[in-house]
This record gives sequence, structure tokens and C-alpha cells, in this order.
Amino acid sequence: MIRFKSILSRIVILHVIAVAITSVLMSLALSWLLNVATNNIHNAAMEEQAISLAKHLSANGDGSLSLELPPSLQGLYSQPYGRYAYAVVDAKGTTLFSSRKDNKAVFADDPRAHTVQFLETRNGEAAISGASIRRTVGSKTVWVQAAEDLANSDVLTDDIVDDFYKHVGWITLPILLLLLVIDIAIFRRALFPLRQASETAQHISPARTDIRLPVADIPSEVRPLVSAINKALDRLDEGFRLQREFTADAAHELRTPLSILRTRVDTLDDPRIAQALHMDIEAMSRVVGQLLEIAELEGFELDPAEVADLQGASAEIAGFVAPLALDQGREIALLGATSPVLVKGNAEMIKRAIRNLAENAIRHTPRDTAVEFVVEENGTVRVRDRGPGISEGERSLIFQRFWRRDRNAQGNSGLGLSIVQRIAELHGATIEVENRAMGGAQFSLHFIRATS
Amino acid sequence: MRLLVIEDNALLSELLAKGLRTAGYEVDLLATAAEARAVLMTTTYAAVILDLGLPDGDGLSILRELRHRKDPTPVLVLTARGGLQDRVTGLRSGADDYMVKPFALEELVARLEAQLRRPGQQLGNSLHIANLEFDLRNRQAVIDEQPQVLSSRETAVLELLMRSKGRVVSKKQVEDHIFGLGGDVASNAVEVYVHRLRKQLSDKGARVQIHTIRGVGYLIAEEKRDPV
Repeated sequence: MIRFKSILSRIVILHVIAVAITSVLMSLALSWLLNVATNNIHNAAMEEQAISLAKHLSANGDGSLSLELPPSLQGLYSQPYGRYAYAVVDAKGTTLFSSRKDNKAVFADDPRAHTVQFLETRNGEAAISGASIRRTVGSKTVWVQAAEDLANSDVLTDDIVDDFYKHVGWITLPILLLLLVIDIAIFRRALFPLRQASETAQHISPARTDIRLPVADIPSEVRPLVSAINKALDRLDEGFRLQREFTADAAHELRTPLSILRTRVDTLDDPRIAQALHMDIEAMSRVVGQLLEIAELEGFELDPAEVADLQGASAEIAGFVAPLALDQGREIALLGATSPVLVKGNAEMIKRAIRNLAENAIRHTPRDTAVEFVVEENGTVRVRDRGPGISEGERSLIFQRFWRRDRNAQGNSGLGLSIVQRIAELHGATIEVENRAMGGAQFSLHFIRATS
Repeated sequence: MRLLVIEDNALLSELLAKGLRTAGYEVDLLATAAEARAVLMTTTYAAVILDLGLPDGDGLSILRELRHRKDPTPVLVLTARGGLQDRVTGLRSGADDYMVKPFALEELVARLEAQLRRPGQQLGNSLHIANLEFDLRNRQAVIDEQPQVLSSRETAVLELLMRSKGRVVSKKQVEDHIFGLGGDVASNAVEVYVHRLRKQLSDKGARVQIHTIRGVGYLIAEEKRDPV
């Protein structure tokens, strides 16, 4: 059994086979019908001739018969090439009259049985075909035979049949092929809604689970499949939603116990223990916060019309992280543009991305060095440090969730850069990671400038 | 000064009360929205610390009712919901400040003080960092209990920085604060005053440092001596 890759190829191939068989069968049937029709016409004509011949038979006084043909009929039967012939035969088989030169019967083997009979015989080249009718003239019963030589070049009916094969028969093939083309067009038209549905399905992703396939234009034969897919998507969407909610809820639920822990530590008497515990709680809180950010990002939809000030966002984050950085002996500097740089996107999300880059940089830059923010007019923000930099091999790893160079390092969840990447994706922004000439890493986010 | 803490988690509530009492406040504790509504109808507090997730209702509705009655009591909202939308809704509903759990008790107290010192909440009197004190009533800097003489512009800069303790003050804010809206300001005027103030404080033995965050602004903090 042949396996077809597409419904269209199945239709084309099977249709071509059907066309081939049909065109052969149709020509055969038509030529057979044509043959039958010409035969009937010929037979009827021969019977007519026999009947008109019989009218000219008359009985003599001695019981013998005579045939007096008018000149028009004589001419018909005396053509030199002998297209037509007649004979009259009695019950004993004796030929009474004949148009033939040898005066024999046209059909020697006339069974002389029925009222009308259609007979065929061959005489050299000639294909003689005709009728034999029984007539009673006077007291004698005779059979009047009338025949035509179908091989004679004046006979057209056979030629028509032959011609049909050569010319007319071929017409069926293009007609059937044209039908095939029309079929393909109809089929493609019918499948159009399915192609549209497929394009819609392309956009479904974990971030866009709300998309459903359009059912309205789908042919009713395929509709159950499309509806079933939509229902499956509903269930998946629900699963994703539960997953997101779980992450958010889990992070939520952790916050109150963390607050209790933290407040309890704040009221401890020994400030040194309190400080050490603080750092642990700080690290844990950050992970919880980042988990919530991730959960929020998964369901976040960016309004394409939103515009944010990249310079303002960078300044705010620089100010936000400065107290912590200074406390840890690191400097913060904001360079580049000093007036608003408008980019497409959500200000709060852009701030989150910059904050995560900044926290990362502060963690890696050595004491007494600076983390620099550079905002450029073209919609780029760069965050750079004086840390160890990022090797080629690590560049693809750093954006993976929970990846850390040193798994024992404190205060780093390995979530920050994956958040940055997700925010960049949402904004159609690109991330560039480089090492600085004098040491350190530089992360650049290139946002799309908003035209204002 | 009496504060009202509305928090349904008994443990956190107790610990908060302990911390706030240590910081010198009297504290009333409530655990449900219904109790809070009833109490707030009759009693006025210096400030309210409100947890948003209460067992019998949304804390935000209490806040809205309070503001609907034109009650200006400062409200500091505590929440486990740190989402973008939650934050915006919280502040729009009339919260004066918003803290996401887990928070540092120290920061809570600091923010509370900032609220209580706002105009119309004349309850605070001085600000402290290490051995430096700023008397808000007399607008005077005090180092090691010794009142200091500073120029009016230096005093203005110091007041702004100390009011924003723990936060960066932008250059623009300093400019607006010392010069107001009138007149042209030389582009380096703020740098000059900050530089002078820094020198004065250092000369007079204040253990504080005014950090410059390039491109952003200034931050006052306790001087840190690098462990050598």
C-alpha cells in the first residue's frame, strides 16, 4: 500500500490513475456505442432495400417469378465497384435473381429461417453485410437478400468510428485533467482555514497559552479535531496557570516566615550573630523575591504602546543599589546620557533587568572598584564591573536558571540573569556580554528606541 | 507615641511589637479587619502598620475607608505580595509607604520615622547618624553633643541628606531644596556646597561620610573604616 505524505498528493496521484482508467474506458464505451449505432443504421437501410426489392417481385402464370427493377434501382446495383448487391433465393437454396456477375446468392449460407435476418460474409477484400427477408410471392416463398460492401471506400460510417479514436477520444483526457486542476483548487481552498489555524498555533508558547485556534471557518469534517486541540490547550493553560500560581504562592508563603525570622533576629541581643544571620536571610529573601519575579514574568504581557525612560530607570536603580554597594565598599557611577532616553517597554520591568545586572556586578566587582551604568542615546544600557569577567565557555551558561560559577557562593541564586534574559526577550531587546580591556565584565542591553 | 499594628500572624505581630517598643513606641496589636475597623473609628494613632493579607478581608479596604474619612494617619503597608500591580494598587489606595516581606525591622522603624516627621506630623525632633545629630526644630547640626555653626545652605543640604538617610538624594533634589525654583544656579553649585559641608563635618570630627554617586546624587552614611 502506498503511503501518502499529504492529502493533496493522495488526491493528485489517485486522480491521475482514475483519469487514465476512465479515459480508456470512456473511449472504449463510446466507440462501442458508435459501432452499435452505425450497425443499426446500416441494418435498417439494408432491410429497407430488401423490402423495396421485394416489391418488384411478381408471380408469372407458370408459377415462376420475375423481378422488374426500375432504372434507379438497377443503377444502384450495377455500379462497377459493386458497393451494393442483391439476390433472391428460393426455399431449395436456388438463386433466382442476383446482381452478381456469377449469379450466385449474396449470402450462400442464408439459413432461410426467419422473417428478417442480418447476415455477414466475406468475399475476398469485400466485407459484405446485409439483410435477408422472407417474402411469399404467389405460391412461392423466397428470401430477398440486400447487402453492402462495408470495405468499399464510399462507406463512411466505419471511418467515423476509426476517426473517433484518433481525434475525438483524446478530448476526454484534457477534460479529465482540467477537472483534476479544478479539484486541487477546490481542495486547497477548503484547506485554507486549516493553514490559518496552523499559523495561529505557531504563536502558542509557555508565555502565550491564551491563544486558541479559530473554529468558525474550519470545515465541519475537521472541526472535531480543532475543538479537541483547543480543549487540550485549555487543560494545558490551566496546568501552566497552576504552575505559575504555585511558584507565586510558594514564594508568598515563604515571605511571612522569613519576616518572622528576620524580626526575631533583629531583636537578638548579640549583634554579631544577628549580622551573620541577616546575611543568610537576605540571600534567602532574594531567591524568594526572584522566584516571584519569574512567576510574574511568565504571565506578563507587554503593552506594545508602552514607553519607558531608560536613563530615568538607570538613575533610579543606581540610586537604589548605591546604599548597599557603598556599605560593601563598592562605588556606583552613572555615565552617558543625562536626559531621558525613551525606549519601548515597561519601566518597572526594565528597572528589574537593570537591578539584576547591577546586583550581579556588585557581587563580582572587588572592593574599592566601581560598578558603572552607561546609558546611550541609541537605547542601550551597559552595566560593567571590574570582576573576573566571563569566559567564552560560560557565556551561554550564565543565563540558565540556577547556574552559578561557584555553587557554594553565598547570596547568589543563579536566577538574576535568567530574569534579565526573559525581560530582554519580552522587550525585543538583545543582550551582549563582553570582557573589558582592563578587566571585568560588561553586560549591554539594547532596547528598541521609541519614536516620540 | 502609639502605633497600631494590624497583622494576623501572631508570631510576627509579637516580634514587631517587641521591636517597635524597643524603638520607643507604644504598640496596640490587632489581628482582624473587623477589629481594626472598629478601633480606627474611635481611636487615633500616630501611625498604622497594616498587613494586606488579613483572614477576614483585604487590608486595602481598611485603608480606603480611612482615606475616605479624610483621616491623614500615616499608613505603612506590609505585604507578602511584591508584584508590580500590587505595589501600584497599594500606593494608589492611599498608603504612605509600602514594605514587602521580609523586611528589616531597622528599615521599618526608619521609614516609620520618616512618615512621622513629615510636615503635619511634627512628632520627631532630631535625626542621628553616628555621632552626628540634626535638630529639626532648631535646624542645627550637633556633633558629639556640641552644636555646630554651619552656613544656611550647608545646613539645608545636611538636613535634606539626613532626612533621606539610607537613600540617595539626587543632585536635582539638592538643587531644588537649596535654591527653590527661583534664579539660575551655577552648574557646579551643588558640588561646591557638598564639598564644603563634607570638609566642615570632617574637620569637626563627625564620623559620617557624604558619598557622591556619580551621575545620580549623594548619600550620607556612617563612616566606614576599612578593616586593616
